[in-house]
Amino acid sequence: MRRFLLILLMCMAVVPAARAQDDTTVSGRFLLTDMHGRPVTDETYRGKIRLVTFGYTFCPDICPTILNTLSVALEQLGPDRAKVATLFISVDPERDTPAHLKEYLNAFPDITGLTGTPEQVAAAARNFKVRYERQKPDGDDPKVYAVDHTAALFIMDREGNFLARMPHMSAPDRVADRVRSYLAPRKAED
Amino acid sequence: MKRRAFILSAAALAAFPAAAAKGQRGLIIHDQPRPVAAIDIRDAESRAAGLDTLKGKPVLLNLWASWCMPCVAELPALDRLKPALDAKGVVLVALSLDRSGKVAVANTFARLGIKNLDIRTDENRVAAEKLDAPALPVTLLIDREGREIARFIGAAEWDGPPAARLLDALAAGNPLTPDMAPPPVRMGAAP
Repeated sequence: MRRFLLILLMCMAVVPAARAQDDTTVSGRFLLTDMHGRPVTDETYRGKIRLVTFGYTFCPDICPTILNTLSVALEQLGPDRAKVATLFISVDPERDTPAHLKEYLNAFPDITGLTGTPEQVAAAARNFKVRYERQKPDGDDPKVYAVDHTAALFIMDREGNFLARMPHMSAPDRVADRVRSYLAPRKAED
Repeated sequence: MKRRAFILSAAALAAFPAAAAKGQRGLIIHDQPRPVAAIDIRDAESRAAGLDTLKGKPVLLNLWASWCMPCVAELPALDRLKPALDAKGVVLVALSLDRSGKVAVANTFARLGIKNLDIRTDENRVAAEKLDAPALPVTLLIDREGREIARFIGAAEWDGPPAARLLDALAAGNPLTPDMAPPPVRMGAAP
């Protein structure tokens, strides 16, 4: 009986803990600089659903198509895209300066690039439960390096609270559908 | 306890799917040829230039975008390769996934001094999804029946001798082997 109770206790402790780690502890708070050089926080985007992803622009050998996916999803949202803030947070603040992000994101007009000091970026990543790790330079040039990072897309509500996490490889129409489900009143559940 | 370890490791995996970031690279030869999804490809005059117009010819289909630096770094080699491929009867299609379509392509081509590649754009911006390309560049080797027989993930030295063997085999309809893989190209310096 004691053993049974112990197991029961463990199960009760473990399952919510795992769920908490996956979902509710993504606070989504940040203090960063946008690509126009303005300081921004999650409060800056109050009133909008946010699509948030982490990455970097100097991909040395292959580049994820996540920003392409996001811009197609935004097109599919039509006028509703005005209710969405799409944020690309750099995990490579040394090379991804605001000016560089602005130039890079010319290719994705509805996406806002955010960067900051290494400490600010680390804090933002921590709050999203995102991990990233700068790799050793590939050759002699210390400026040529990759940054491994968590590949995920976060959807946050109008107050900046966590709603959902989707894989990087999600199809654009699935992302658009999910955002629509959150835009529609009383349809917050998947 | 086992369960706990399982849940914790599952949570850790979800938190850092390094596989997605690192992914597969290089030449992947498929066990079986695969059908290639139909994509609305347009030329510089916005006319239809889909793979269905190339029936009966082997195709090297390169997916690129102006925002993808390794893709852009690979374009000059593809440009040099094009006349030799034409002579072999292989059609080289460099398909841009750029949102701004031919404007982005024309600007990139002008900047790089591209002479031989034709402007090809992904009209509905679905190529990455339909061709299962979560990262760029990726180059599909398509046989004369219009089936994908292999793909190269990442940038390659397309105009060197190893690539020539691979492309000769594609042209002749001969089996591809792993030793035909062209060397990958990594960015030499941050531009």
